[in-house]
Amino acid sequence: MNLSLHRLLAMARKEALHLRRDPRSLGMAFAVPAAMIIFFGYVISFDVNNIRLAVLDGDRSQRSRELVDALLAAGRFSIVQRTDNRHEAERLLDRGSVRMVITIPPGFQKNLAAGEPAPVQALVDGADANTAAIALNYAGSIVSNFSARVTLQASQRSARPVDAASRVWYNETLESSNMIVPGLVAVIMMIIAAMLTALTIAREWERGTMEQLAATPVHRVEVILGKLLPYLGIGLVDVTAAVLIGMVVFDVPFRGNPLLLLGMTTLFLIGTLGLGIFISAAFKSQLLATQTALLATYLPSLILSGLMFDIAGMPLVLRVLSNVVPAKYFIVVLRGIFLKGVGLEVLWAQGVAMIAFAVVGLGLAVLSFRKELA
Amino acid sequence: MKPAVEVRELTRTFGTFTAVDRVTFDVREGEIFGFLGPNGAGKTTTIKMLAGLLAPASGTGIVAGLDIRTQAERVKQLIGYMSQLFSLYADLTVEENIAFFAGLYEVKGPRLVERRDWVLEMAGLTQHRRRMTGELSLGWKQRLALGCAVLHQPPILFLDEPTSGVDPLSRRNFWDLIYTLAAQGTTIFVSTHYMEEAEYCHRLALMNRGRLIALDRPAALRAQMPATILEVATDNGPLATQALLGAPGVIESAMFGRAVHVVVEDRGHALRTLPGLLESRGLECREIREVPPSLEDVFVSLVRREGGAVAG
Amino acid sequence: MSLVSRDRLLQMIRKELKQMLRDPRSRRMLFVAPVMQLLMFGYAVNTDVRNAEMFVVDRDRTAQSRQLIDALTASGHFRVTASGERPAELINALDHGRVLIGIEIPAGFSASIDAGRHAEVQLLVDGSRANTANVALGYATQIINRFGLEHRTALLARSGPAPELAGVDFRSRAWYNPNLESRVYNVPAVMGTIMMMMSLLLTSLAVVREREIGTLEQLMVSPLKPAELILGKTLPVAIVAFIQLLLIMAVALFWFGIPFRGSLVVLFAASFCFTLSGLGVGLFISTVSNTQQEAFMSMFFFLLPAIMLSGFMFAIESMPGPLQPITLLNPLRHYLVVVRGVFLKGAGWSILWPEILTLLLFGIVLLALSMKRFRKTSA
Repeated sequence: MNLSLHRLLAMARKEALHLRRDPRSLGMAFAVPAAMIIFFGYVISFDVNNIRLAVLDGDRSQRSRELVDALLAAGRFSIVQRTDNRHEAERLLDRGSVRMVITIPPGFQKNLAAGEPAPVQALVDGADANTAAIALNYAGSIVSNFSARVTLQASQRSARPVDAASRVWYNETLESSNMIVPGLVAVIMMIIAAMLTALTIAREWERGTMEQLAATPVHRVEVILGKLLPYLGIGLVDVTAAVLIGMVVFDVPFRGNPLLLLGMTTLFLIGTLGLGIFISAAFKSQLLATQTALLATYLPSLILSGLMFDIAGMPLVLRVLSNVVPAKYFIVVLRGIFLKGVGLEVLWAQGVAMIAFAVVGLGLAVLSFRKELA
Repeated sequence: MKPAVEVRELTRTFGTFTAVDRVTFDVREGEIFGFLGPNGAGKTTTIKMLAGLLAPASGTGIVAGLDIRTQAERVKQLIGYMSQLFSLYADLTVEENIAFFAGLYEVKGPRLVERRDWVLEMAGLTQHRRRMTGELSLGWKQRLALGCAVLHQPPILFLDEPTSGVDPLSRRNFWDLIYTLAAQGTTIFVSTHYMEEAEYCHRLALMNRGRLIALDRPAALRAQMPATILEVATDNGPLATQALLGAPGVIESAMFGRAVHVVVEDRGHALRTLPGLLESRGLECREIREVPPSLEDVFVSLVRREGGAVAG
Repeated sequence: MSLVSRDRLLQMIRKELKQMLRDPRSRRMLFVAPVMQLLMFGYAVNTDVRNAEMFVVDRDRTAQSRQLIDALTASGHFRVTASGERPAELINALDHGRVLIGIEIPAGFSASIDAGRHAEVQLLVDGSRANTANVALGYATQIINRFGLEHRTALLARSGPAPELAGVDFRSRAWYNPNLESRVYNVPAVMGTIMMMMSLLLTSLAVVREREIGTLEQLMVSPLKPAELILGKTLPVAIVAFIQLLLIMAVALFWFGIPFRGSLVVLFAASFCFTLSGLGVGLFISTVSNTQQEAFMSMFFFLLPAIMLSGFMFAIESMPGPLQPITLLNPLRHYLVVVRGVFLKGAGWSILWPEILTLLLFGIVLLALSMKRFRKTSA
């Protein structure tokens, strides 16, 4: 293999020139990631707030009012309607005007005082299972705490039998953004990097310039690395900007080693850019290349990376599949470096995965790209 | 003297279609070797094989002493290639395209400056070096492409229909450039379907449907023409053509501008009989004289003789 | 005078469909990919906590402490994957991401509660998995509270007639989706997203490709009228989108067993209106793009926010206040309401007419604007 740095740099310089003259790609490369992180950092929240509630208080006692107050005090619910008509409440649910109906049947206070079980019913709109489960969780917690407090007052013991003191590690306030922003960085970089490079080879084939290139002594490794380098530079700038945005705009803490982040990011970018180039070389049509790039990156990186949905809760097949999603490892790295402040001693496994990914991505790109015309 | 290019039984198929069928020829050093034939004849495929872009199905090709099947990448160091469709980068300036290809051929330092200026001068683009390549007219684009192909001063140049779509004046200029390069010792292999350009070549190979049907100097090819061509000036071209077509001794009859060209076996016999034939049909025969065969005539008759039809 | 020649239109449609369907890779993209997406979303998306990895530091090692652990695992939300002697090991496990939550039961735990005194256990949760951490804490706290209460009740029962400390009995029922299966919610939603994506992509790229190659010019100088050209480009996409809809519905209904309680007519009507929007935006994108790459980037710029702000994955009511009304401009949002309504709630015209009307309006307006722009820029 007779590689020449001079030829490689010539290719890289040409690709950089193409990029410079393509405002949309530039916009996509620089402005879009930043905008997306800011935007989604604000928009996406896993906290379920403002849950619209309808309350059916059949008891109208002090206790029932206290319960309702407890529900409100938590700040997650907002009461849209108080009613004593069951049908009305259910219609509200049907229409989607409320998400949950809390029914306190008559006799609530009496049962509590007598030490009998005092039922409270929650009817939740199950169509949106995600929000429903969370809403039930909140309500359940609040009711449980209320119950414990009340029954212990009744038994004249001021202390609860068992108290769970909880502490949240790494993310004391359980800020969504602390979890989301590092994850977003990974996902966005993956999608954009793949998309930027997905077109690069297919375009040269379609325009005919690849033929001229093929007639020169340039080696295909030089072509690929040359195409990769400018995008790598952009990617690194992007990640740096993302880190700064996270820190400045969202107050995400940065407790780890920036150099480690740099190294991991480079590996990740090499892999994902290589993947994009592979797609471009394998599908010589720009149309197919873009579709494939989008499908191959956006879906797995959004769902299987652990950004939004916990992987541990997924069926086995998907958990196995998530192991080949590079963004998954990168998110662990990002969260580790941002929030946990850990280094290679913990992240070495991810490091290995990143190296493997870089090798595979680049390898696929080189193998799939041939200078021969047919 | 060793030939610059040696081709033996070179063949290329695409599925069941044979694009190049056991083609054999030599190209001498420093000559302008023309490859003539209609579209689909196999010219482009042959050039692409010799430039190392396509692998032959069978047969051998030696370019600059190297085997195209096993040493294709090394061959590329020693050749220049211009593809049929313009394939430089439209969104790069003239200078940037030159710099890029120079980089690929590792032309650097003072040599780069020298070659770059030479190419700009040759292509007439010195004033326009900062212009976007996409904005240039086709003639200039082709000259630029030629320049980029010779930055590294290769001994052999492959040009695939370099002047297609270019206006005649630019075409003439382009061929001046080719002559200049040939004078400096470059072997030039050029394919074309313009018959008049074929005249500019030292030797010509005629191809049809993948087969090589003739190979010689243009003059010799013309001399090979077994038949005579007579030009008949008449008042009604189409009718005259029809009338002459069936006449005894007439091999071929076709319109040529307003006149009719007939290909005849026996010159004397034709000169005697044809005017009368026309008049008997109510057509005027204003003049009838022999004209030298054009390469197109040669080509058509050669193909006919082979028993085939003209491709494309 | 007819605006459109049916023959020419049919010719164009046939050509487009052939081009789209000829390449096997393209066919795979059109029909296999949506199904794969559906499968993935259907199975992956789940925000509930089940079988979460738990680390136990049990300093007490008594029957009671073990009972507490059992209560936690019996709920199905947790399973013990590691245990240790010291809290430092728990923290290590958290660092390595091996567990989501850890519980530390101090020595003397059972002694305290047996004596009727107060005891405290420590829960430590991995905050970097914020939403899951939240839910996990909620469950754990509830279970621990209940355990404490039951223990106290049993204790008091032994020492005499006890006030039953039954407390509040929280019962929950989920309407439409009794098991709170996420996929019931997500699968219909994926349909909407995929259809939008596909119709956008196909329309914008198909037109721009012709412009890039140069055949668009050829078409424009042919007898083909602008209306025929536009219809010829958009109708095939609509046809393909419809086939995709059927395909996805088949998977949803027969593979996932999602209930379908509403009317097909309503669904198809809404889908038709929604596709108009997709086509309109796709056409618009094709007018602002000269190359396929530009078209693709523009499409991406539009698609990602459209998906994120549609209520597909993130509830709109949880978004920042000022942003919520803006989502009303997103056709996908309205379509999702319809889809979910038709599948799960059996909602019909009377409930969904506002959404369908909005979709129709959006569709017509977008398509009309784009057509006008298309004519102007291509003529």
